[in-house]
Amino acid sequence: MPKVEHQGRARAVKTVRVTLAIALCIIYLIPVLWMLSTAFKPREAIVAVPPKITFNPTMEGFVSLFTKRSTLTRMQMEQYQQRTDLSWWDKVALERGLAIIGPSQYVDRVKNSLIIAGISTIAAVTLGLLSAYAFSRFRVRAQADWLFFILSTRMLPPVVVTIPIFLMYRQLGLFDTHIGLILLYTAFNLSLSVWLLKGFVDEIPREYEEAALVDGYSRWQAFRKIVLPQSVTGIAATAVFSLIFAWNEYAFALMLTSDRARTAPPSIPSVVGTAGREWAATAAGSLLFLIPVVIVAFAVRKYLLRGITFGAIRQ
Amino acid sequence: MSKRLFVLLTLLASLILGACGGEAPPAAPADQGGSSEGTSNQPAASSNVNDLTIIWAEWDPANYLQQLVNDYTAETGVQVTVVQEPWGSFGDRVFTEFAGKGTSYDLVVGDSQWLGQGATQGHYVELTDIFYTELNGEALAPATVTAYAEYPKGSGRMWAYPTEGDADGWAYRKDLFEDPQEQESFKARYGYDLAVPQTWAQLRDIAEFFTRPDQNLYGVSIYTQKDYDAITMGYQNVLFSWGADWGNPETYKVDGYINSPEAVDALEFYKELYKFTPPGSSNVFWQESIDHYTSGQVAMAMNFFAFFPGLANPASNPYAEQTGFFSNPAGPTGERHAALGGQGMSIVSYISPERQAAAKEFLKWFARDDVQKKWAELGGYTCNATVLNSEEFLNNTPFNRAFSESMQMVKDFWAVPVYGELLEVAQRELHKYVVADEGTAQETLDTIAREHTQIFERAGLLQE
Amino acid sequence: MIRTKVRDASDKQPAISRYRSRHVLSDAALKRLFLWPTLALLISINIFPLFYSLYLSFTTYSAIANQPPVWVGLQNYRDILNDSQLWIYFRNTGRFVLLTVSLQTIIGFGLALLLREKFRASGVITTLILIPMMLSPVVVGLFWKLIFDPSYGIFNYLLGYPAGRGPEWLASKELALWAVVIVDVWMWSPFVMLLCLAGLSAIPDYLYEAAEIDRASSLYQFWRITLPQVAPLLLIAVLFRTIEAFKTFDLVMGLTGGGPGDATELVAVNLYRLAFLGQWNTGKASALAYIVLVIIIAVSNIYIKYLNRIKEG
Repeated sequence: MPKVEHQGRARAVKTVRVTLAIALCIIYLIPVLWMLSTAFKPREAIVAVPPKITFNPTMEGFVSLFTKRSTLTRMQMEQYQQRTDLSWWDKVALERGLAIIGPSQYVDRVKNSLIIAGISTIAAVTLGLLSAYAFSRFRVRAQADWLFFILSTRMLPPVVVTIPIFLMYRQLGLFDTHIGLILLYTAFNLSLSVWLLKGFVDEIPREYEEAALVDGYSRWQAFRKIVLPQSVTGIAATAVFSLIFAWNEYAFALMLTSDRARTAPPSIPSVVGTAGREWAATAAGSLLFLIPVVIVAFAVRKYLLRGITFGAIRQ
Repeated sequence: MSKRLFVLLTLLASLILGACGGEAPPAAPADQGGSSEGTSNQPAASSNVNDLTIIWAEWDPANYLQQLVNDYTAETGVQVTVVQEPWGSFGDRVFTEFAGKGTSYDLVVGDSQWLGQGATQGHYVELTDIFYTELNGEALAPATVTAYAEYPKGSGRMWAYPTEGDADGWAYRKDLFEDPQEQESFKARYGYDLAVPQTWAQLRDIAEFFTRPDQNLYGVSIYTQKDYDAITMGYQNVLFSWGADWGNPETYKVDGYINSPEAVDALEFYKELYKFTPPGSSNVFWQESIDHYTSGQVAMAMNFFAFFPGLANPASNPYAEQTGFFSNPAGPTGERHAALGGQGMSIVSYISPERQAAAKEFLKWFARDDVQKKWAELGGYTCNATVLNSEEFLNNTPFNRAFSESMQMVKDFWAVPVYGELLEVAQRELHKYVVADEGTAQETLDTIAREHTQIFERAGLLQE
Repeated sequence: MIRTKVRDASDKQPAISRYRSRHVLSDAALKRLFLWPTLALLISINIFPLFYSLYLSFTTYSAIANQPPVWVGLQNYRDILNDSQLWIYFRNTGRFVLLTVSLQTIIGFGLALLLREKFRASGVITTLILIPMMLSPVVVGLFWKLIFDPSYGIFNYLLGYPAGRGPEWLASKELALWAVVIVDVWMWSPFVMLLCLAGLSAIPDYLYEAAEIDRASSLYQFWRITLPQVAPLLLIAVLFRTIEAFKTFDLVMGLTGGGPGDATELVAVNLYRLAFLGQWNTGKASALAYIVLVIIIAVSNIYIKYLNRIKEG
């Protein structure tokens, strides 16, 4: 095969590949973009027939998300309009005949989410990596059973365990505490974390550690200097998956918290006013809530895509 | 699993079980010295309880309640917080709390259907002895007392204070109804004037008349959702108006009631209405009904009165200025009924006697005529008949008159402890027939009758 | 619990222990230190719920009824297995799991193949594709319901149907399950993609170069090199997706509520209905959950067997 032709074909294949990837990515993102536009839509544009692509953006959704409001009667409205000390968000609400009576709990709940999801992700990845290493490199008695036990903790439908866990948590004083949810999410993520990281650690050839051990490294040093850097793709992927789970978990958060440790997911989808579902507020809340995870994913994307570089030597 | 592992796990399990079973729940914070007599004459100020927590669903009326109770704080110094849980999980959350005999909440604004469980399973404090004395019960519309407070129905035992009255009613497009051209062609086709329907048959005609897919206009939006209780609520509006019922409320006999010819007729009617709904109406409850209406897709929409303020508000409904409201029309024999929504406020039985006393003080305050008047002004749907029938209330909004009318004719689904099982059967079978188009109305209702009978027998309510 | 063998290199090779004497922390101590926090946490969180609900599955019990459980032996299990309704739900679940997992595998793998060779925007595109997975399932259900609406939804609009005329995705018995599958696949294919990408990047180039010299067709290369090399991670991805698919309920509740009729009533949806939503039939719900658990264990074992066979090469 002449070299030039071959290169030409390769370039054509690449062009097709890139175009296809971009096209698929756009298709994939349409629903997300639709949510994004919904967040800025006035109510009547959200349920317009046929769907509206262009509209006058409004901040209604964001105002609804961050505040509690009450409906003004006509008389109250007139009084209210006379006031000069209204902020822009007061005015947005006023246009819908509403007065802002206080902040919503959204910010507090996002804070709780950050604490709970953040800590539990770090814990799940750390514990997962350690035990994945142990399972991969040491002889563990009843290893298969233990691994299956770890996996099986994810198998029982959560609907059924919520009640026992609720009863247990109430007894132990873990109900409506941050630590309670952190423990639970860590435990739930460990199954994925151990299995996934074991998959990655298995890929790292043990010859490297053996060589290091011969060179006088301690086992711990070998783990830190060789295994840790090599499993960074696995760590990144596991961290992202664990974070996503803990970030969006709904059922346990609902049942095991009341007010103090309540995370955001149970309340975002139900921003409901007397005018029915506040689509814009729901969209705004979901998208703002998306930002931290997207930031994390972007920050670690280099590692996510780096792959397992040592794979080259495996047989 | 290896033997050793199994032994280990079992050991651990029994350890944890032991720990959980053995420990007594931590006692409520000690209230030393405080007299905890149920109905002390002194208002709550003298007691050590200076905060109360109410749980309700996450929606505007709960915000109104929070506004209202700030007055109580000003009067007594007792801080009252309204905790709001999302609608979809409100019931699950509250009952999980009950399952753990939790003390997170002092009062719960609970659905009318919960009364049976709340009363017989001991979650609610009985209010019978103070209901007509200290709770101003005489002032309430009688239908609301039966609906939101009494269990078993007719027994005179009270478990809640009717708080947010609600029922199904209708919003309609006045601009369409009053259009001279529409009126003319309607009269030509049906032989009578186009107006607010007086009977369900007229409602059907109007729905058919306005169903014009080429204009993206349809006749009605009705409840069809399968999740929890929506399609049952929707069907009930028709069922009761046909003079039929779910069963005999005293004997719990079902067969011959829910599958009576009237009930079958009513179900066929409800399915016919489904033909006049916008496409994709397989999963409609109040949110979707509002969306159908505010998008201009329907001429009439079934909904709860609680959401009519939103439909009358031009800021949230572009058709607000052209929107009228009416209550359920009459059935073939002239009977009129409306399916019940709404909630009553109950005291949770797991809190300390002292907190119960403080909660009772709060209820007493809430039941006062002037407070109920303020409650209505803020946007709450009071059940206080004096307020309900006052000209001021009736003329306050375009829908209050229809609301007041509806509250006199409300009827409800079973409120027995096994209502959940009854509801699941009804939801499943009704949805199958109306939406998925399986079987006939008779078969559907026969199945419901058979399964409901079994449930009542199992529950020991129905004696053979 | 069904006995499974997860075989691994350590079964075949002796663990590296001969250097132990030189170091402070022995391998055995390190092993314990590495393993026990994880196992202790998992045991303490899971054992009570697991055993307690197993016990409840043999009783008549409602968590809210303030009455102790009444032992009924296998009654709950008998009731469930004799309930023709539940068999419909099991069939729905089987169809759903099969459809959604196979489509996720194909699409996820396909996306990974497209993105494996880096180009300028590949990092950004890969991250953007992960977004659906980052959304809460409840929110996804809610918005896709809006998107699927025949009148104001954008799905039919983009397919070119005039408002109100296109297929009623969620209201039609034939389409509703597909609609749920579409959303689930949209949401979770990125999961499979990401793991496949990691697996693909580990394939050494010389394998392809050797195949190139042998003039092996690209199809042959795919079957003989790409697939087997990616398989271990792909199988883990598929295993977890299968487990999750069996448990899907919030997405369905948001989209269809299980309807129309029984069309999308999955076992996990019905399980939720049984355990909560006013019914609070805790005993029977626990029994149903254990039946689901046994099925998941059985299916997982099949995967794990494959996984081991592949690892043994």
